[in-house]
Amino acid sequence: MASAEDISQMFHSEYLKLQNLINTANSKTDMNIHEIIETYYQIMNVSSMATMLKQQTKSNELLDRIRETEKLISEQFDSIIHPKIMANLTASIQEMTRALQSGNSTEKSKEKIESDAKLFEELRQKMSTKEFVDQYEIGISHD
Amino acid sequence: MIEDLAKNLVELKNEFAKSYDGKSQIQEVIPKSTSSLFPIAEPHLESLHQFATKNPIYYNYFEKKIGSVDCVVYEGDINRYWLNSIQHGSSKAPFSPTWIMSGYVVTLFAKHLGFSEVIDIGSGDGRIAFCAKILDMESFSIEIDDMLVDLQKLLNKTIDFHPHCSDAATFDYNSLNLKHPIFFIGGLAQMGGNALAEDVLQKIHSISHLKANAGWVFAGTFSQKYAPDPKNEAGWGSLIEEHNLKSIQTISLPTAWTFHETESTPYIFSQSI
Repeated sequence: MASAEDISQMFHSEYLKLQNLINTANSKTDMNIHEIIETYYQIMNVSSMATMLKQQTKSNELLDRIRETEKLISEQFDSIIHPKIMANLTASIQEMTRALQSGNSTEKSKEKIESDAKLFEELRQKMSTKEFVDQYEIGISHD
Repeated sequence: MIEDLAKNLVELKNEFAKSYDGKSQIQEVIPKSTSSLFPIAEPHLESLHQFATKNPIYYNYFEKKIGSVDCVVYEGDINRYWLNSIQHGSSKAPFSPTWIMSGYVVTLFAKHLGFSEVIDIGSGDGRIAFCAKILDMESFSIEIDDMLVDLQKLLNKTIDFHPHCSDAATFDYNSLNLKHPIFFIGGLAQMGGNALAEDVLQKIHSISHLKANAGWVFAGTFSQKYAPDPKNEAGWGSLIEEHNLKSIQTISLPTAWTFHETESTPYIFSQSI
């Protein structure tokens, strides 16, 4: 069984990973899908750990770290990064949809159809990423 | 004989999938001529090829020998129909077609079971209704997406499979004067098909002479991507039980959405107990 110190270190290590992801997100104007998913997973991972550890630990040091983490998520991620990701995804989906619709009226070559198919695939990925991000939005609006 | 035809088609698809190196979003094959593996009347085969060559979802075709069968490969793209359907939000399941040959085999089986009318619900480009019509059954095609119904009207010029642009949940089935119909439900149970089937079953079961008389065909899946149904039947078991239906037979056939998978699509034929 892990000691209280092990658990505290594990939490700190996950917190540092999250902090790195948040710093990266803050420094970028547009994150790719992989970065978005990785960041949300780490947010969920650390949030779940924090919820569980808050109920179990008596260590003031760990409780302070948990509070610091929750502050980071609330003030940096929920208030700044998450709305920015939502807005970027929405704008990007609208722009891609418009571009793909406008190209529908013309007769296309086999090569053009097959290269456009890649853009459609990218659009589908962005839409499912947005659904995933929307679920997070529903979660924080119910908190 | 029909079961053999289905089995041969699945084997043809598996052989084709192994060798296909094109980049099209969807692809399918139709045998070029009648053979011992595909003993299909030549005029029927000709109609199936016409359906593909006139259909704008296919942008390329070429001949290819697959195993011992001379075939025509059709390459297509349905992205713009997908984009249109998600814009309207009215469609319960995105358009993804069964193979034209599979449409032929399922309607052949429906005819063999003695049904006289095929009603293709969520019919996409209308291929199942088209196939029923070339088999001399009466057929009706119901699709909510106007862009797909426009496509059906393009394909409906010589063989009238009665395209209707309508919500299948509110459609007036009495207007069709059905006697012994079989309903094909578009979409997997987990992809909106269940909700669609519920709506149509309720409407048909409220018409007294059709409740005992109607047949139902559901496209199922054994893919682990989807939650299984506790009563099985490839995702349809609970609905079949709740509506007092019994499964008559399941026939597995190739579809666009299973092209890259080892399992084909099981079509579950059922009727009232």
